Parts: sequence; C-alpha cells; structure tokens
Amino acid sequence: MEKEKRESLLIDYIEGNLKDADRALIENEMEQNAGTKKQYHQLKEVMGLLNQTHHIELSHSLQSNFEKLLQQEMASNKKTSKQISITPWVLRIAAVLVLVFVGAVIMDRFIEKQEHEKEVAAIKKELNDNKKLMMALLQNQQSASQRLQGAMVAYEMNNSDDDIVNALVTTMNEDTNSNVRLSALEALGKFYRQNHVRSALIKSLSTQKDPVVQMALIRMLVKMKEKEVVTQLEKMTHDDSVIKAVKDEAHWGILRLI
Amino acid sequence: MKKLILVLGVVVAALSFASAQEFKLAKTSGRLEIYIGRVTVEGTTGNEIIFKSNDTRDREEDDRAKGLRAVNGSGLEDNTGLGVNVNDKGNIIEVRQLKKMNSPRIKILVPKGITIYYDHESQYGGEVKFRNLENEIEVSANYNSVELENVTGPATVKSVYGHIEADFSTNIKSPISIVSVYGYVDVTLPLATKADIKMSTSYGEIYAAQEYKIDYEKQNDALVRYDNKVSGKINGGGIKIDLSSNYGKVYLRKK
Repeated sequence: MEKEKRESLLIDYIEGNLKDADRALIENEMEQNAGTKKQYHQLKEVMGLLNQTHHIELSHSLQSNFEKLLQQEMASNKKTSKQISITPWVLRIAAVLVLVFVGAVIMDRFIEKQEHEKEVAAIKKELNDNKKLMMALLQNQQSASQRLQGAMVAYEMNNSDDDIVNALVTTMNEDTNSNVRLSALEALGKFYRQNHVRSALIKSLSTQKDPVVQMALIRMLVKMKEKEVVTQLEKMTHDDSVIKAVKDEAHWGILRLI
Repeated sequence: MKKLILVLGVVVAALSFASAQEFKLAKTSGRLEIYIGRVTVEGTTGNEIIFKSNDTRDREEDDRAKGLRAVNGSGLEDNTGLGVNVNDKGNIIEVRQLKKMNSPRIKILVPKGITIYYDHESQYGGEVKFRNLENEIEVSANYNSVELENVTGPATVKSVYGHIEADFSTNIKSPISIVSVYGYVDVTLPLATKADIKMSTSYGEIYAAQEYKIDYEKQNDALVRYDNKVSGKINGGGIKIDLSSNYGKVYLRKK
C-alpha cells in the first residue's frame, strides 16, 4: 500500500470515518505489517494531543479574560493620545523647535558652502600666485638661477594651465642655460598626460643640443612609451654631432620602444 | 737671524711683485663671462675685478718678441698682459683666451654682487675652481672638472665629461643644480641645511651621509622607472637642490 494512502486511511480509521471495506483493509494491513501498526499508534497519540490543545484554546474563561484585557488596554491608549494632540502650547513649542532646527541646518549648509567657496578661492589664488611668481622667475633674463627657481616652483605645482605649460615649453626649448632647460623638462614631465605637453616633448627632441637635456628627454619619452620618436632616435644614432652617451641612450630607447 | 728674515722677506716681496702681473677693472655689479680653459675665481671684499697670472713657473721671456704685440686668429688683443682679452661692455665683462689650446693660468678676484658665468666647450682645458664666493655662479662646461669651495650659491653647474665637487658654506642659497653626464657629482652641505633635494643617476649610484634624514617622497606616477631617482626633504625642506649624473656617482656629504 502506498504511504500517503495508508496515512490518510489510518487518520480516518482513528477518527472512525471509514467505510467497512476500508476499515477491513487497514485492519488487515496492521495485522500483517508491524510498521503500519507502529504508525497507527504514533498517529493516534498525535491526534489525541491535538484534540487536547483544541480544548485549551477554546477555554472560555481564558478567552473572556483576554478580551477584557484588550479592551482595558485600548481604553487607556485612547486617554494618553488625547492628551498629546489636544494641548496647543506643546504644539507651538514643537513647531518653534522644528523651525529652529531647520534654520540651523540651513545655516550650517550655507556656512559650509561659503567655506568651500573660500577654500576654492584660496586654492585658485595660490595657483595664481604661484603662476605669477613662476612666470616672473622664468622670464628673468639676467639670472639663470632665478629661471631655475621658476622651473623648480613649476615642478611642485600639481595643476597646470596653458599659460604655465607654454612658458615651460618655451623655457625647455629656448633657455640658454642647460640646467634651466633640464628643470623645465622635468616640470613638464609631470603633465605628460596632456596632449599638447606630449607633442611639445616629441618636437623638442630634434631641437635639443645639450647631452644632459637630450638624455633626460629620451628617458622621459621612453617612460611615456612614445613610439612616435623611434625614427628620430634612429636618426640621432647616426648623427655625428651627437655624443656617444646620447647615442647609447637613443639605442637604449629604441630597444624599449619597438 | 732677524736680518736674514728681513732680507728674505724683501726678496720674496720683490719676486712676487715681479711676477704679479695684474689687470684691474672697477666693478661691483653686472655679469662676468669667462671663456677660458682653466681658471680660479675667488671672492674679494674690494670693489674691482682683479685678473692675476696664476702661473707657478716664470713665463719664458722671448727677447725677440720685445717691442711687438701678440697677434692671433681670434682677432682678440692681449689687453691685459696675461694672455687673455678682457672686453668691458658695461654690464657684461667678457674674458677670452687668446690661444686656442693652451689656456693661461689665470686667477680672478671678483667682488660680491657680480654674477659669475663660465662657459667652455673645447676639450683643451683643465680644472676650474670657484672659492670663497657669495656670488651667483653659472657653469656650462664640456670637458672641465669643476670645483666649488666655500660658496653660497645659487649655482647652476653642468659638465658633460668632467666631475663636479661642491662644498657649500652655511648661508647656502637656493637654487642649486649640479649635473654631469660622465663625471661624479660630490656635494658637501652644512649638516643643518634645510633643503628639498633631488638626486638621480641612470647608470651610477647614489650615496648620502648617515646623518641626513631624508624624508623620501612617494613617487606615485604611473610611469615605469628606469633610473635611480631620489627626492625628499632634509631638515624639513627649503633650498632646492638637484644633483644628477647619468654615468657617474652622486655623493651627498655633511660637514
């Protein structure tokens, strides 16, 4: 016999709802199968317990007690809620408090915004001051040291604009002092991600004559993985005016770029 | 004994007077441009630039040349009697040697306030020395080795093949940039110097005195590094100092 059918027959048998034929069938099954007999006893016990619980739940006194308690609770709740909603001066104070709070929040935001604007202005001013200082230094034709200082100030700037970049490019290409050109090159190297810096560096390779600057420039272009300069580097390796150290550097660069 | 010393003193004075050819130029500002193969430049508290012959041996006197003037292809005249031509252009004073290869040994005393510029491309030259100077110094050399002793800077020094030694005095001034391709760069700073220092080499090594606590900056750019590059602050930072040699070593000493 199937398990589910057997269980349903057993349950009906315990409750006494079985037809004669089915009752004979299940009794026969219990006689022959010890497992079914055991299951019959278990089910009977469970159903007995279920019936008892039924009785407890339906216990009359408990139910009425609960309902009484519920009503009491509801009544008391009504009383307290009335007190809060009716008194107008409490409401007013609350409203004032809310207004003050909202006002404070708005003020805070406003001050924060002002401070932020001040900070931005300060940064802008610093950049501007640095820029002015740097430009003035870079354009001091009398003193290489001043121009060098200008390039070194530029090296420490984290932001650049076109004016700064253009001034540095001019210095890198045209300054009479190699140390100054070298420093300008290093400062430009910090902004290598900008396209016009990149193209200025590439262009400069064919015009630099001092080995110190040539070598630094080759290193920088190789670091930037600038494959465009390979032909120029090859040209340099055959150029008699280029010293051995620079030729070696050009060879080194070609090996890393191709 | 006393007499002997006196006599010796007189003799020495006479000798030095005889060999001490000098050329003087009253200047306290401007730019002194030196284009000589080797030279020693020293500071002076006076107010004139003094050119002196620094030859240790006596010059060979040429009796046959007496009464004649030296003529050479550069078109310059020996207007100092020292084998160099000094051209006073007002704000700029140019000093050039007459012989192409053998440069005379010259010592130049320079008052404060005059910028000193040295430029020499030819391989015929020697060591150039700068001593006891508070002047701004610019050196652009190819083959010369350069020595700076007891100078304040600011200084920009470049030599392609020569080495560079620099010993800075306590009132060191920003900026300082010293670069060489093949030569070593050996720099001594007063221990208390506050500086932002960058040192780099491609094929050499970098050495620094134990006493210098260098706060190394983190390099956070995305570029690949091929060289040995160090940058940081000593004593909190301040004066900007760049030292670099591609093939030579870089030394940073304290005093």
